[in-house]
Amino acid sequence: MRNVERLCLAHFWVAFAAFLVACFLGAWQMWVRSPWGANVGTPGQYFMSVTAHGVSMAYVLTTFFIMGFGYFVAVTSLGRPLPGKVWAWVAFWMAIVGVVMVLVPIIMGQASVLFTFYPPLTASPWFYIGLVLVVVGSWVWCVLMLVAMREWKRENPGQPVPLAMFATVANAVMWLWTTVGVAAELLFQVIPASLGIVQTIDAGLARTLFSWTLHAIVYFWLIPAYIAFYTLVPRAAGGRLYSDTMGRLTFILFLIFSLPVGMHHLMMDPQHGNGWKFIQVLLTVFVSVPTLLTVFTITASLEIAGRLRGGRGVFGWIAKLPWERPAVLATGLAFVMLGFGGFGGLINNGYGMNAMIHNTSWVTAHFHLIFGGSVVVMYFAIAYEIWPRLTGREHASPAPLRWQLWLWFIGMMVMTLPWHWLGLQGQWRRVANFNYDDPIIAAWGPWVLVSLFGGLVLLASALLFVRNLAVLHRSPLPVTQRPLYALAVHPPHRVPAALNGFGLWNVLVLVLMLLAYGYPIAQFVIEPSPAAMVHRLH
Amino acid sequence: MAHTSESESHALDQPWRIWASVAIFGIVLSGVVLGVVIIPVVQGRSDGIDAYTAICRALGILPGSPARQQVTDRTPPAPVSQVVWTPDLLQILANAKPERGRAKAQEVCVACHGEQGVSAAPEYPHLAGQSGAAIYKQLNDYRTGSRTHQLMTDIAKALDEPTLADVAAYYAAQPKRNLNLKTLAESPPAIVHLVELGDPSRNIPPCAACHRPGSGGPIEAPILAEQGQEYIVRQLKLYASGERRNDVYGRMRTIAAKLTPGEIDGLAAYYRAGFR
Repeated sequence: MRNVERLCLAHFWVAFAAFLVACFLGAWQMWVRSPWGANVGTPGQYFMSVTAHGVSMAYVLTTFFIMGFGYFVAVTSLGRPLPGKVWAWVAFWMAIVGVVMVLVPIIMGQASVLFTFYPPLTASPWFYIGLVLVVVGSWVWCVLMLVAMREWKRENPGQPVPLAMFATVANAVMWLWTTVGVAAELLFQVIPASLGIVQTIDAGLARTLFSWTLHAIVYFWLIPAYIAFYTLVPRAAGGRLYSDTMGRLTFILFLIFSLPVGMHHLMMDPQHGNGWKFIQVLLTVFVSVPTLLTVFTITASLEIAGRLRGGRGVFGWIAKLPWERPAVLATGLAFVMLGFGGFGGLINNGYGMNAMIHNTSWVTAHFHLIFGGSVVVMYFAIAYEIWPRLTGREHASPAPLRWQLWLWFIGMMVMTLPWHWLGLQGQWRRVANFNYDDPIIAAWGPWVLVSLFGGLVLLASALLFVRNLAVLHRSPLPVTQRPLYALAVHPPHRVPAALNGFGLWNVLVLVLMLLAYGYPIAQFVIEPSPAAMVHRLH
Repeated sequence: MAHTSESESHALDQPWRIWASVAIFGIVLSGVVLGVVIIPVVQGRSDGIDAYTAICRALGILPGSPARQQVTDRTPPAPVSQVVWTPDLLQILANAKPERGRAKAQEVCVACHGEQGVSAAPEYPHLAGQSGAAIYKQLNDYRTGSRTHQLMTDIAKALDEPTLADVAAYYAAQPKRNLNLKTLAESPPAIVHLVELGDPSRNIPPCAACHRPGSGGPIEAPILAEQGQEYIVRQLKLYASGERRNDVYGRMRTIAAKLTPGEIDGLAAYYRAGFR
């Protein structure tokens, strides 16, 4: 491990501390929106809490986790020291300073703009500047990942980059592209407005720039889960990866199809022509290709493992899989949630169907199920898989780990399936409380209570997760050495440059972004629309 | 040898470059043909929109849906206030100078509203620490006749627009109003509930949603704090009866009409006492 344990653990613990706090806030929010908690707390407190919950989950948990995992992968998969470790620590502390700058204004009630900002609302400038620092810290991480891969390639000419590292670099490259949109929005629009330099914001332009980031950021969060599917899970199940090439293709397709698709978040926005929305929706549909490739490849890999363990027949191998191992269990649970969430996402991506569920709890349910469910359950699996290597200690029994994963799965399903249903009933999102005296809203009450129960189960699972990681630091059992990454059935000996780097794909992304976003952004300059008054919350 | 492996790698790579590009641009091209040409033209035809207009609308070059005729409303607007928050006006407010406003305030306003914005008589509102936009809006409404008062109408008409902004800035710069949790704790719970949470069963939003600094309500919403009780009672009653009608979208007329006389008194007492 060559001394990056402290670096990785520092990132992971910050991520999981933010996660735990955000789980408490989430449970409280569900309580105050339920019939039991009606009229507890003020709308101001509710929106403050939602902002803190969203920022902690979407920016702190994810960014720190991904950075920590990236450093881990760079060292373990390439088998060489991390280049620029000092810079990694600089980036870490920069991001920590950023997080503090973000959280203080939120707690002071000067930044209740939710984690997606909603200009022309503006928060305290510190809130945005702190976020920029977090992003700059993550850019340093991106550069370190690129440098690590380049140095390895120089030392191993013609060799295929290990899949885990290739995927991590794909994520870093994608993140550099992704953050351009939000960085432009913050630096040129929101921060000047927040500082009082300008009095108006073109909300349409701001929303367009944010949409550039909004879908790809979700894939930034998702890719570690996919890295685990391809590189950790087949080994944990005792099998091999069915196809290394499928893995490479998947990550490349995520890079390409995560970016020119963000306008499907703007289907109800009037500032763009329907044609542009159609083009980006069509490109969004192709995101299903890497998802289905993955479902196929990982299922095939698990089938290999099941048959190696003596499974017979069409489905007999499933029962033979080592479900008692957390990584295998988490994969099964993640696939179930990905299935429900994915089909829900198809509704969101249909222009007419989206109109029915737009701004309802359906959407909240969708992103909690996909991100909070499938992705976060794999974050747990990754943490369980690599924690013994980071601490040098082993768990006495995997039972509490399995309990925690099951609780998370049950909690997430019990919370989000009623939300989907309530969304179809028209329950709106982003509101602080409901008037349960209204007979229509009163009928939602029982389902809101069911989802509250799911939220409490999630909170219990979050506490158990942190406990599981914490006790490992004191476990008396020393770690038993075992390989971490799965071998492919046919390990690659030589791959085309296109599957071993990102030059070609960066060119294609650039052209696609110009085609998909060129005119939609240029129109705001060609014919400026009436700008909205800045609405200061500080 | 190195040369051979490089050319081998190049040969291995070439089909990827070609087919990846063909696939990607094939997808984009089909998106353009379907989304910008076929769908808009076919949908537009069903509502009598010609192909050119439909394509321009799909691209966003012309306004409106490519599938439906553009509905235009020709009813003349009847705004309750002439104030429009344009970037120019916001810039005037941002550049207003309290020092310039002080001289005019000394000359015109202090007799009723006090030198520091603390009024001499209960029927006149305190202006200290009030939002500049709120003061400007009311002065402008007096000027244009959207709101009337036997004294204020003539006074406001005598002032030009930049002076209104300066006077507003002067009073806005007077000592701020801050929450005082001790005095607030003495308010009746039902009134605090109305302020903080409103009454959803009567569709009454919380007062604090608009009338607290940084609450995020409309820019012209005045900050309510340490305000004269008689003044608030009178304004709520004027709104309730519809006699005062310079509130955009009739927000305050709608809310005030739903309040009971007891609630009006309670809220006025809350906003008289609860601060600093």
